[in-house]
Amino acid sequence: MALQTRATTIPNRPQPPRRLIKFLFSALGNRYFLYTLSVVMFLAFWDLAAVKKVLGNFLPRPIEVLSQLLSLNTEPLASKTLFEHLWASIHRVLIGWAIGVSIAVPLGIFMGLNPYVRAIVKPVFDLLKPMPPISWISLSILWFGLGEESKVFIIAIGSFVPCILNSYNGIRLIDPALYDAARMMGANRRQEIIEVGFFASAPAIFAGLQISLSIAWSCVLAAELVGSRSGMGFIIILGMNQSSPALIIAGMVVIAITACLISVLMDRLEKMVCPWKRELPQ
Amino acid sequence: MRVCWKRGRASAPPPLKPLSDIRYRLLIKIYRTAYDFFGEMAMMAKENTRGRLLKFIPFISVAAFLISWQLIVQLGVVPKMLLAAPLDVFRLFIDKLTQPHPDGALLYVHVLVSLEEAILGYFLALAIGIPLGLLMGWFHTIEGFARPIFEMIRPIPAVAWIPLTIFWFGIGLSGKVFIIWLSGIVPCVINSFVGVTLTNPTSVQMAKTYGASKWRIFCTICIPSALPMVFGALQMALAACWTTLVAAELIAANTGLGFLITMGRRLTMPDMVVLGMILVGLTGFIIGVIIDAVEKKLLAGIRR
Repeated sequence: MALQTRATTIPNRPQPPRRLIKFLFSALGNRYFLYTLSVVMFLAFWDLAAVKKVLGNFLPRPIEVLSQLLSLNTEPLASKTLFEHLWASIHRVLIGWAIGVSIAVPLGIFMGLNPYVRAIVKPVFDLLKPMPPISWISLSILWFGLGEESKVFIIAIGSFVPCILNSYNGIRLIDPALYDAARMMGANRRQEIIEVGFFASAPAIFAGLQISLSIAWSCVLAAELVGSRSGMGFIIILGMNQSSPALIIAGMVVIAITACLISVLMDRLEKMVCPWKRELPQ
Repeated sequence: MRVCWKRGRASAPPPLKPLSDIRYRLLIKIYRTAYDFFGEMAMMAKENTRGRLLKFIPFISVAAFLISWQLIVQLGVVPKMLLAAPLDVFRLFIDKLTQPHPDGALLYVHVLVSLEEAILGYFLALAIGIPLGLLMGWFHTIEGFARPIFEMIRPIPAVAWIPLTIFWFGIGLSGKVFIIWLSGIVPCVINSFVGVTLTNPTSVQMAKTYGASKWRIFCTICIPSALPMVFGALQMALAACWTTLVAAELIAANTGLGFLITMGRRLTMPDMVVLGMILVGLTGFIIGVIIDAVEKKLLAGIRR
């Protein structure tokens, strides 16, 4: 009986409203449709919250942020356009990062290779490690003033810690079977280090570079928030002083895009520099 | 394990020559045994001194670090306006325990205020970030909705939120908790998301074969297998929270360790700056150790 009713009520082709529902469900299963939907809903809610003044006068509409972004390109802010401010920040990051990395990576490698260097450096490093790099801002301003040097110093300190940790652990945690294999082929200590150690630890060291670059990016913002005349942090703090949240959010958008670009660039670079890195199964 | 002293040698000790004189052979035998014995002793002594030296060097290096720091300041290589000697810092630490001058609060008040902000933000981040990440890893619809927004917010460093937060929440507790929450939620979501996606597909398929519902698979298979990753996030989130706390207090606060550091700069008291930095490092280290112990205890029953 039940079988018969089912056979009679369900037609071969679904009816139009049913098809619509089915289409909607399949769309909800589609990842990219969901992504766009979510972004659109986010912007819509933001706009609604801004129009209804949920957070008082301090939430601009997305359109205002966009127009602010466009006007930043043409109207100079503190005698610099947006790209010049961005370049000022990136310039500091690159200098400080290069200094930090060029000290930290060799030190980490030596720490991994030689027990005496490890015994000398590691305790002092462990003493200094738990202090967040941002807490050095005050000291660096006392030492170097409000100029470029203090920012570069903070960035160098911030990129120092992950670099040294990663290169030390990268060397230390190499699979001993690799060394054994090289030794079986008659490699001496120097060849072991240069031909096995460096290549086997390169992915870990590169990961350290990546982490330290993103930390350097947040350090430069903190340093510029405390005191500077140019840079993305300066744009944000200017927005706060002029009480124009549109300027702040525009600055944050640019910061986010830059951070994204940096991480994408580093990913690409990593694939070029050490293609033998094993990826996590995803 | 005893190390054979002969292993590293290029040439072996003198071999026995076929001699008819039995006494001579005995002499050589004794000589060889003695050679072996003393060689072994020498090797052991050498190994021991090496090990002892390696155990000893860290203390020497820390002591040398502190003494050279003290001397640099004492001998006037670096002016006292710029760097405080460790003994001065210690003296200030003792003083600050009892008197609120010159920054307006006792030391333990600063520590407690900072701890309160950090722990509130941290636990809020855990309470929202971990379930969100777990659900994102298993249910595609939730992932589709939450991921783009998360990806938009993630690259913004927490420091960049400070001005906006001051507008929205003022410089009170809630603003700082918001910033700390933002920085702590990122590792929580990422780690628990990855933890769920790395679940062994064989067990999921077996559960499906036995007819388990999607929710049941999520609860009984995905969550336990993601737990090690989730606990890894606890430490990372803590580090992020603690760093951001200092940043938030550097910009706007009237108590707290970050404020202590800023105040030290404004009053040009490097000893106060260094004291604040040391306390930040120490407190972060202690919380890290506590969380590590908790993690070990919780993970004890779970096979990795």
